[in-house]
Amino acid sequence: MTDEHGTSGAVLVVGGGISGLTTALEAAEVGNDVFLVEKGAYFGGRVAQLNEYFPKLCPPSCGLEINFRRIKDNRRIRTYTMTTVKSVSGGPGNYEVTLEKAPRYVNSNCTACGDCSDACPDEIDNEFNFGMDKCKAAYLPHEMAFPRRYVINKDALSPAGAEAVEAACKYNAVDLDMQVETVTVNVASIVWATGWTPYEPTKMENLKYAESDGIITNMMMERMAAPGGPTGGSIVRPGDGKEIESIAFVQCAGSRDENHLEYCSHICCMATFKQMTYVRNQYPDAQIYVFYIDLRTPGKYEKFREARMADENATFIKGKVADIVPEADGGVTVIAENTMIAEKISQKVDLAVLATGMQPSLDIQGAPVPLDMDDNGFVISNFEKAMIAAGCAKKAADVVTTTQSSTAAALKAIQVSRR
Amino acid sequence: MNVQPDLEFIRSLKEAGGDTLKKCYQCATCSVTCPLSKDGSPFPRKEMIWSQWGLKEKLLADPDVFLCHQCGDCTANCPRGAKPGDVLGAIRAYAYTFYGWPAPLAKLASSAKGLPMLIGIPVVVIFIMWMISGAMHIPTSEQFADHGYQQFFGHWGFKWYAKNIFFIVLIMVPSLGLGLFSAYKGITKMWKTMAENEGVNTDYRPSAVQFVKEFLWPSLVEIVNHDRFKECTDNRDRVRGHQPLMLAFIGLFIVTCWSLLKNDVIGLVLPSWHGPMSLMDPFKILANVSAVALLFGIAVLWSNRKKAEQELGTKATFYDWFLIWEITAVGVTGLGAELLRWAGAPALGYIVYFLHLVSIMMLFLYLPYTKLAHLIYRTTAYSFEKYRESAFAKK
Repeated sequence: MTDEHGTSGAVLVVGGGISGLTTALEAAEVGNDVFLVEKGAYFGGRVAQLNEYFPKLCPPSCGLEINFRRIKDNRRIRTYTMTTVKSVSGGPGNYEVTLEKAPRYVNSNCTACGDCSDACPDEIDNEFNFGMDKCKAAYLPHEMAFPRRYVINKDALSPAGAEAVEAACKYNAVDLDMQVETVTVNVASIVWATGWTPYEPTKMENLKYAESDGIITNMMMERMAAPGGPTGGSIVRPGDGKEIESIAFVQCAGSRDENHLEYCSHICCMATFKQMTYVRNQYPDAQIYVFYIDLRTPGKYEKFREARMADENATFIKGKVADIVPEADGGVTVIAENTMIAEKISQKVDLAVLATGMQPSLDIQGAPVPLDMDDNGFVISNFEKAMIAAGCAKKAADVVTTTQSSTAAALKAIQVSRR
Repeated sequence: MNVQPDLEFIRSLKEAGGDTLKKCYQCATCSVTCPLSKDGSPFPRKEMIWSQWGLKEKLLADPDVFLCHQCGDCTANCPRGAKPGDVLGAIRAYAYTFYGWPAPLAKLASSAKGLPMLIGIPVVVIFIMWMISGAMHIPTSEQFADHGYQQFFGHWGFKWYAKNIFFIVLIMVPSLGLGLFSAYKGITKMWKTMAENEGVNTDYRPSAVQFVKEFLWPSLVEIVNHDRFKECTDNRDRVRGHQPLMLAFIGLFIVTCWSLLKNDVIGLVLPSWHGPMSLMDPFKILANVSAVALLFGIAVLWSNRKKAEQELGTKATFYDWFLIWEITAVGVTGLGAELLRWAGAPALGYIVYFLHLVSIMMLFLYLPYTKLAHLIYRTTAYSFEKYRESAFAKK
């Protein structure tokens, strides 16, 4: 394993989602030392939250598992979770980076037996499932979490809870006195794979996300459809659990809109087509409505689109939903103009899915060090400074494109570190 | 479909404040957020693509263009900054010029380049009238106190017809007449185009009485109440300016009619009825209240437009500002002349009164070509909308 000061040519990868994992592995597997830093408690990022990939409709867990295996086997990669970049000094070739490691309150003795969680009386919103269910304040982020180690949300822990959690652990793994740690590493180049955050749906006031349980986001749909999700995989209306007879997909919810995200988020059309399959598999007769401005399914994805559009119980309406009215029965009415016939349509449905887009995470939280960024908060690679963007930190993209750009970023990171 | 874009038309829309129209990508957010857009005939999305394609004929035959009140909800929610509200305003500006008769005058009134002429015509006409009337002198303070501006164009011995009125009529009636004739020509042409475009059934024509009762009167009631204006969420403030302004015009119209009757009909029998009204006269009160309402209204609209230009990036156009300037001029000179009469300043009073006549003549003469034309075209569109839905028009 690398020492903490790094050897010459070491690479820091910021972000442990599919992009960061790919960059780290590609760089390490050709012989570079890599520090992989993740802000959250687990690796895998947004991909870990998906039920299935498009277009193959397979669960991402197997792909992630392979990557985790490669990381575990690779002695050149040093991983940090719950860690953020605090400061960067020096220059390309010899950056000194200060990392800050937030306390997990569970040490490496943890065997993920789950006794602490069982004993814990305190509950918190399950962030992994977008708050659709609760989890204990001592929890494993999700069933596939890597590193496979529990986390404790100390702020949510009552005094009795703290006592119970500590008492339940047979391995002395719970350490509620854990402090913030600072680590300094020396690297030649830095890859920013900081990823994306689903665009905040309450910002589209006209879509009334906050006013009805009958309105969810596409990422919530992924969690609901996932076997490990809040409903055990069945797609129902949150709140009253109603089965779905009709559903509307609201495309470009906040994307291609200069009042929100002015760019196309690239994945939402395909995500909706994929989610149509989830719905159809569970409800053979449900009416599906897709409201869109344009359907963007380039290249091989055209076939995927054609198959969904052949669905007899699916209606495609060219026209953006610009108003949603919550109804008394828990459903919602979505309103758009069908531009093909120039008539307004008000469609009552059981559930509306907002196809919200990708906002670069750094656009929300700000970059920890000065970076070249465009107006939307995407990072622009600066090879002179050995600051390289990868994945969705660079542009809105699907997983395939992300892994390609991450491989490219790894190569660039190696090149600039060897000048 | 074979589309022949009318580039000249697109260019004129861009000049009249529709410079953003090419940004539209047809998502139809506007048609949904517009509080006035109807389910069966939503706008302004279709108008946006017609504009981009330069389909002039379709737009000129489209009542929805005139049913838009430019409240700006669509512009505020537009994801592309295409400002559909401003584009529809530009289409209307084009339509007024298009329907305007005589065409040279309509064209003159459509751009700032014509401004010297637009002001020059009434100035010269009224000045010449003043010269040939032979009055041509500033009254003494006593005369001014007795007669106010009623002997601006002098007076003569005929009991049956006051010289002053003769000249005022000579100026204003042809101006208003030309305006009304042009307006009539414009709205009949528009109505015909709309009816053809809509493919309404022309076998059953409503009588004049039926037309007024079923279509025109309900439209006027809606307009006076500002029912549709009040649906706007953005720019709700405009009602606060537009409604007092409109009521002021109605009030001043009543006062003018009464003044005509009092001075020139009753005044012939009872000479004592001549002269300025007393301040306590109910009509004078109405006149003064209207004058204040007019100035208040136009001030609100003035500041709203300034605000829109600063905050929403609305383009400042001659089309919008000319009417604001005109009405402000009418109000300021009218009230100014009255104040100067009380102050007993005949020379300054006469100059301001002269400018008042100029501004009123401009309002009348250019009515069908400037933004004021919405008065007739929007009312027509309201009526047409009701007619279109009625049993008369159905096949």
